[in-house]
Amino acid sequence: MKRFSFAALLALFGAGAATQEAGKSVAITGGTILTMGPQGTLERGTLVITNGKITAVGRDVRVPAGASVIDAAGRYVIPGIIDAHSHTAIEGGVNEGSDIVTAEVRIRDVIDNGDIDIYRQLAGGVTTINVLHGSANSIGGQNAILKLRWGKSPEELVFKDAPRGIKFALGENPKRSNFNPQGGQQRRYPATRMGVEVSIRSAFEEARAYKAEWDAYDKKLKALPAKAERPLPPRRNLRMETLKDILEGRIDVHAHCYRSDEILMLIRVADEFGFKIRTFQHVLEGYKVASEIAKHGAGASGFSDWWAYKMEAQDAIPYNAAVLTAHGVLFSMNSDSNELARRLYWEAAKAMKYGNVSETEALKMVTLNPAKQLRIDKWVGSLEAGKDADVAIFSAHPFAPDTRVEMTLVDGTVYFDRAKDLAQRGQAPAAAGSNQ
Amino acid sequence: MTRGRLAFLATLGSAALAFDALAADTVIRNARIVTVSGPVIERGSVLISGARIAAIGADVAVPPGAVVIDGSGKTVYPGLIDGLTRIGLVEIGQGAAGTVDSNETGDVNPHAKAWVAVHPHSELIPVARANGVTAVLSAPGGGLISGQSALIRLAGSTPESLVVKTPVGMHMVFPTGRPSFDFAQAAQQDPELRTFEERQRERRRNQEKDLAKLKNLLEEAKAYGAALEAAKAGQAERPKPDPVMEALAPVARGELAVVMRADNEEDIKAAVKFADERKLKLIVAGGLEAWRCTELLKQKDVPVLVNVDRLPRRESDAYDAAYANAAALQRAGVRFAIVSDDASQVRNLPYEAAMARAYGLSADAAIRSITLSPAEIFGVQSRMGSLETGKDANLFLATGDIMDHRSQVTHVFIDGVPQSLETRHTRLYNEFKARP
Repeated sequence: MKRFSFAALLALFGAGAATQEAGKSVAITGGTILTMGPQGTLERGTLVITNGKITAVGRDVRVPAGASVIDAAGRYVIPGIIDAHSHTAIEGGVNEGSDIVTAEVRIRDVIDNGDIDIYRQLAGGVTTINVLHGSANSIGGQNAILKLRWGKSPEELVFKDAPRGIKFALGENPKRSNFNPQGGQQRRYPATRMGVEVSIRSAFEEARAYKAEWDAYDKKLKALPAKAERPLPPRRNLRMETLKDILEGRIDVHAHCYRSDEILMLIRVADEFGFKIRTFQHVLEGYKVASEIAKHGAGASGFSDWWAYKMEAQDAIPYNAAVLTAHGVLFSMNSDSNELARRLYWEAAKAMKYGNVSETEALKMVTLNPAKQLRIDKWVGSLEAGKDADVAIFSAHPFAPDTRVEMTLVDGTVYFDRAKDLAQRGQAPAAAGSNQ
Repeated sequence: MTRGRLAFLATLGSAALAFDALAADTVIRNARIVTVSGPVIERGSVLISGARIAAIGADVAVPPGAVVIDGSGKTVYPGLIDGLTRIGLVEIGQGAAGTVDSNETGDVNPHAKAWVAVHPHSELIPVARANGVTAVLSAPGGGLISGQSALIRLAGSTPESLVVKTPVGMHMVFPTGRPSFDFAQAAQQDPELRTFEERQRERRRNQEKDLAKLKNLLEEAKAYGAALEAAKAGQAERPKPDPVMEALAPVARGELAVVMRADNEEDIKAAVKFADERKLKLIVAGGLEAWRCTELLKQKDVPVLVNVDRLPRRESDAYDAAYANAAALQRAGVRFAIVSDDASQVRNLPYEAAMARAYGLSADAAIRSITLSPAEIFGVQSRMGSLETGKDANLFLATGDIMDHRSQVTHVFIDGVPQSLETRHTRLYNEFKARP
């Protein structure tokens, strides 16, 4: 038995007591709603949820009869936070680092739904996470976008209909600069940024040949008379099949990168092979090549102000978000950390401090922008009628110095409620800070 | 100092003004003044004369010729003090060993002294300073006895000019008995399968061995110290020079504080017991589970250097255990300072305090925990940590609450000298923000 009783209790609480009854509406009333959508900010607004979806949001919205009401007077209501770069709920399954290209492995095969960090991140207002493979390989494994439905099975955590994605990585990590080979093992190729480029190029050369084989086969099939004998298909290769899907635009590429030279390198390789980079991840020197990133049409998902922790982070600046945004690059702020994920709202605020991004634009960096980057903005990222009812309720403006998440809902279900959490510890909700 | 002031005044663009003002005082007028030691002055002035605060209050006469800074709508704070950092000892943490001087080889390095190696031209210093941090404890780490720390001001061109006080503490790591974790060698750790009990037994054995070593070293140092005293008094011959013993002698006598890194409840309790039995002057660093030992820490008057933005240690802990740690210490009357325990993230010190504030620490206690409290713990409260007449003029001016991410720091003074707010980051920002 790996988990402790407290976690189990919370799981029950998440899955049971708070689940929204089918057909019954929930109304969040009286709060300041930062919709991140066309309605902007709504003071003393009402948000109505039915069957997990937002059915109405506005200042003059009537609370349906029989709806259960969440009083948010004096509080701030924002869309559930989306973390575009997470390794939560896959402990021990982050990196298939044995080979330089491992496009065939899938994060969704190793989801640990009992990871307590899911609950802890709900307590930081997070509702959706992009769980990425690690950065040990130039082409790593496929991602899984999860909703933090704490207490549900791994399959039930998966964000339904979210587009597929894959992790690429450039620089020190794939070249294993900061990792010594394990006892008796040889150093893995590549050891230079030149080799990283070669590894990606070689893989796509091979994938292009593989695609040509399959395209020829598909063409032959189509041309075949109805009852003719089918030719033998080419041998299936899971790695090449994944790269073929990238070439055909069916998988979004999320590329871990730091330095501007390697960013340009990947743009050129992608252009040459005719695929797009959906997001550059970390992208610490993105500000140096902002126009090139914008021209390629890629998004950028970075840290607020991490720097100097390794050589390739030496030129990281906290103004990165502001510069990329000013150049027309869609920017999101991510955590890449179980700890930082819990305070992404304050990471977003740093875009205001460094480069004067507006308050709304800054908050979009952890809500609507990552939703767009992951192409799930049809469902999440803003509070609009028709979207999923993923909501975080804060005690004060999310950027204020004494703000705190009070309640988090996913699909209209309350998965985190600070008052209940405190009550379970045997404390009155009035106690502001407490440990017992 | 003169050079710093000249440089600042040169930026004002008038040599004549600079000449006149050189001998003059500086006054910040019409500002909100957070004195920390006394009540907030809602609208008042601070007069800086030379290196000291000459006057402070609602009505301060402006001396003729004084440089006047209009503080309308702004807040003056005493310079922030980060009570645990590696600033000056670490430039690039990973992959650039040549820039890392924090961790000496071997386990016993009491004679390693931070102030002989702090790098005055570190890029990290201006970055921390630009957000109001004017002094930090720069401390070595690792091993069993890591070395001695220095309190340094974040301005100066030689190690000597940085130093405020040395030594401040003898830094040690409470032995946990766990093998040290090397990220690069992670897969090699613990190749054999062993039961939990076997691991625990081995850990205890290692821990006892390390504690016995520490105990013996301190006993020996006590004897060595006594022999030195006797030699000084002419009662005995001077003992053979022994830098390790000489460095440890003041610790063994209870004169120099031991800053003991300990996070777990059992380690903190054991560290307090160890220090108590030997009448050592103890400061706990880290203190993740200090909230579990508040009574003991209060009873033995052991201060804690705590950082806030951490995950709870146990899965069964409340999600906000680390956030609420400082508030628990405050309630119990334990002396504590909030620290970054970092190098490149020192600028985020006020936001660590903000998180403690969001989880129960009062705003007054929060600002005290990053100013006057660390000054008291390190015995420099007569010189810094609050805005009082006669204290060193270490202060800064911000557009709002310094714990609010949206506030900007507009002026920083160290020992009365106005500091440039330029950093590596602003330089790169200015170089690239308008790149087409």
